[in-house]
Amino acid sequence: MTHQASSSRDPPSPSASFYDVSDDEEGGYSTIAHANSGRGVKLLFSKSKVYVHPTPSAKDNIAGFVALVQQKSAPLASDERERPGTSSSSQSKKDNDDASKYLLAWVPESSLAQDDFSTYVKVDMKDAETPPKQSYLVPPLPVASYYDDSNVGPYAFSLPLSQIYSILVRPPSIGWWFGSIVINTKSGSSLPALFFHDSECESTILQKKRRQRESFDPFGEGGDLFWGGDVVIRWLKRYVTVERSTAEPSVYLVNPTEEDLYGFGQGRKSLEGQKSDNNFQGQKKKPPGPGMDPLTKTLKETRWKLLESFAKITTFARKTADDLANNNNVPPQMRRLLQNPEVQTIQDEFDSARLYLARWAMGIAEQSEREKRQRIFTARDVLDTEDTDVGEFELLDAVEGIPDGKRRPVNMKEWKGYFDAQGRLQITEDEVKERVFHGGLDPEDGVRKEAWPFLLGLYEWNSTSGERRAQMNSLRDQYIRLKGQWWERMIDDQAAPEQEEWWREQKNRIEKDVHRTDRHIPLFEGEDIPHPDPTSPFYNEQSPGTNVHMEQMKDMLLTYLEYDTPPSEQQKSPDLLVNSHPQNLGYVQGMSDLLSPLYAVFQDDALAFWCFTHFMQRMSRNFVRSQAGMRAQLNTLDQLVQLLDPKLYVHLQKVDSTNFFFFFRMLLVWYKREFEWSDVLRLWESLWTDYYSSQFHLFIAVAILEKHRDVIMEHLRGFDEVLKYVNELSNTIDLQSTLIRAEGLFKRFEKTVQAVDKKNNFPAAPTPEVRQRQGKGKDAEEGDKLTAGGQGASSSNDVNHKRTESQADKEKVISPELRLLLSRKIVMLDENAEAGARTRASGLKD
Amino acid sequence: MASRKKVLLKVIILGDSGVGKTSLMNQYVNKKFSTSYKATIGADFLTKEVTVDDRIVTLQLWDTAGQERFQSLGVAFYRGADCCVLVYDVNSSKSFETLDSWRDEFLIQASPRDPDSFPFVVLGNKVDMGEERRMITQKRAHTYCQQRGQMPYFETSAKDNVNVEQAFEVIARNALLQEESEEYGGDFSDPININLDQDREGCAC
Repeated sequence: MTHQASSSRDPPSPSASFYDVSDDEEGGYSTIAHANSGRGVKLLFSKSKVYVHPTPSAKDNIAGFVALVQQKSAPLASDERERPGTSSSSQSKKDNDDASKYLLAWVPESSLAQDDFSTYVKVDMKDAETPPKQSYLVPPLPVASYYDDSNVGPYAFSLPLSQIYSILVRPPSIGWWFGSIVINTKSGSSLPALFFHDSECESTILQKKRRQRESFDPFGEGGDLFWGGDVVIRWLKRYVTVERSTAEPSVYLVNPTEEDLYGFGQGRKSLEGQKSDNNFQGQKKKPPGPGMDPLTKTLKETRWKLLESFAKITTFARKTADDLANNNNVPPQMRRLLQNPEVQTIQDEFDSARLYLARWAMGIAEQSEREKRQRIFTARDVLDTEDTDVGEFELLDAVEGIPDGKRRPVNMKEWKGYFDAQGRLQITEDEVKERVFHGGLDPEDGVRKEAWPFLLGLYEWNSTSGERRAQMNSLRDQYIRLKGQWWERMIDDQAAPEQEEWWREQKNRIEKDVHRTDRHIPLFEGEDIPHPDPTSPFYNEQSPGTNVHMEQMKDMLLTYLEYDTPPSEQQKSPDLLVNSHPQNLGYVQGMSDLLSPLYAVFQDDALAFWCFTHFMQRMSRNFVRSQAGMRAQLNTLDQLVQLLDPKLYVHLQKVDSTNFFFFFRMLLVWYKREFEWSDVLRLWESLWTDYYSSQFHLFIAVAILEKHRDVIMEHLRGFDEVLKYVNELSNTIDLQSTLIRAEGLFKRFEKTVQAVDKKNNFPAAPTPEVRQRQGKGKDAEEGDKLTAGGQGASSSNDVNHKRTESQADKEKVISPELRLLLSRKIVMLDENAEAGARTRASGLKD
Repeated sequence: MASRKKVLLKVIILGDSGVGKTSLMNQYVNKKFSTSYKATIGADFLTKEVTVDDRIVTLQLWDTAGQERFQSLGVAFYRGADCCVLVYDVNSSKSFETLDSWRDEFLIQASPRDPDSFPFVVLGNKVDMGEERRMITQKRAHTYCQQRGQMPYFETSAKDNVNVEQAFEVIARNALLQEESEEYGGDFSDPININLDQDREGCAC
């Protein structure tokens, strides 16, 4: 972290166009064109859209081509090594000289030059049983001698056929939607699994269509469904002997010896059978090809639409499979399938891959959602008609009334139009807020710079432009003075040693964090000026070490520290600029995350600083020592989920996750780590409007949870799994639909509160306790100043009460915490709640 | 074939912010180092399957936010830990001086059955920055670890992948011993000492 060894390749920080997000990919992609080899290799066969999945997350998948290439001369003799512990190669129909000339390869799309890419596509689209007559040359590919896990990545590899021991073939099946092959080398290692994304592969789609046209049978000869992996095995069979193991039907041995065949379960007799199968494949009813089993075939082809809908809810967890199997609304074929022992086996086998499956299921669900909404509705309809769920449709209905025009961003022209000649707002504050809440602000034209100070409460809505100018002038002076105060103290050594020590400590923390905050944003990316402080760990004699924007960030955060820390007795003087309500938070991690978007948008340190102080008014409860503010929000979230989705809540209870700790990061820095940069800016400006609620961010949390509720309920069985799953949602969440869902959830919440209130106005016999609590809620709502102080202490009691109550008589009670969600007033911590720094029993203090 | 019973070992990594907890974990599990890790907020974990004396175990490595303030909320995952890794930066005295607090914090929050025998492993990270920047000598750290129940000590560099593998091997082994001792009622009197003669490169234990 502290080493900026790569700084020489870092670009200098640009001063503009900082909105653009550039993903800071580590390292370069290796190219496959070897500099030392001018010659190419002959591309015989290729198939596109064959992926390596280096992580369970679909976003990391790497698209590429699987190919069979021919090199001119046979490689080194070492390639001719005998299979370990064997005698001579038996019955190989082509000899090994040949086999070492041909290489099976995978090459990522991203590593191919445009011309080579076209060549691969051309050969793929030839779609012939024989290699093209014309020679298509492509750059040679690195030969994989062994395979090491750490290399899963965007690297091409190839392997002479003579070096392939076997191929593990997994046709598309229930556990693995994408068929895959894994190449096992003679040296005993495995190359990364290659996944055939057949639905994206033009040539496979065409081949399927052709088969269908020609034979009226999409399943091809012998009833096997055609998939990409078939084709690869067929290529290989042209050059080497490929035998399917009878003991391990998914293993295909390449040029096997007799021992190999024996070891893989083929007695001599069956071996011969296999052989004749190979020879007369076309005439046999059931060829040994790596086709899908009929079960999967039925699932995938005949019922795939239904399946996709089910995937949203079921994803084949055993329990659900059982449910489905017993559901009379499910077609009988489907029910049989789900009762099939093979399906059950697949479930068990991939038990450990549940997280992967969960993610995969979500991907399928999203896809089908995009394709057609009704499908999900059908499935939901079948399975879940109870009213306790938050139906997607209900949510969407609730916000249907918002015309599309309102979801268009507000641009500078529209914004200017809101103000009269004096620069005074001529429409209502609420109208502006509604527009910004629904549409956001144009990210390109600079309107954010104008609008954010209003949204953050720095500018008064009814001020004139003259007043604002005067205000800013004064604030600029104050910023400079505040900055000067700590600066001078540091230079002059005026402070008490203890205080100086604390200050230095704070400064180190700030520096550490600034150097790791949003460095992927061009503004903060490069390092082009020398570090001013030789004692800093970031100081480096040889390289620049920092940039002007990071230095500004440090200054602003230190100035905020100055602003937020009450002065000591000896510091006090009439000249000292003092904040009358310091929170004394100290620098806390997360603050740099909150400041950087402000600075990036304004690129004006004084403006960014003062807007930050306003932002911190509402965010400071996240950072207090007792963590009471975070506790209170997690607690409110707990209650909100209980109210809006009790079924999901019960599941979360079962898996020990009602601490909602997995939302900690999202709440602490307002989803800064979950959305990409441009979406964060858009989200925050909506949240700043307080249009529905000053705590709308909690509805965003429920919206995210709801999106994944089915997966969570079906697959996640412990706190760790929930935490991991939610953490990994980072950068996969679609903002627009989340905002819409959150809005629907808010409206639903509002209705529920109204309904409960109505009911309670004509109570049968309310318990005194309920009445008292409602009174408390009203007070909080009507009170001029809303405080959430001490909630951490008192509310846990409330929750316990509420839980027993709701379990006892199912009566819905709106707690003060929930009622507060209807308020648009910013929730702040009680100043007194945080009196005095607390020292922990362990001695950890900050 | 190893026993089919799956063993999950929970390891908690603690230490001041910026000492390199996330980097160490990523170097070990993903064989990657990046200068651009963000400050950890909340908690996260990585898992890795390893073989310890012919047993296949899954290590669940918990990475936490280094700022003390955030410790109070995230204690849910301390429970049931099998080993605690204390990380400091050899170039920062302060990060070394807080090791005791982190250790105590862990013992208070996790409340293991037998705090005296609970396995801790200490890592002095960022040894790649050069001797001139170093604030804590190997000797000092070593003495410290000896005084506190012979905690195994490794000097590591997540950046240059120095000693990372070796350290986590010991962590895994001690975690497994702890797990077994919990399982069988704590008959293993002193699981920590097992590794004392494992003198690895760059480690003067």
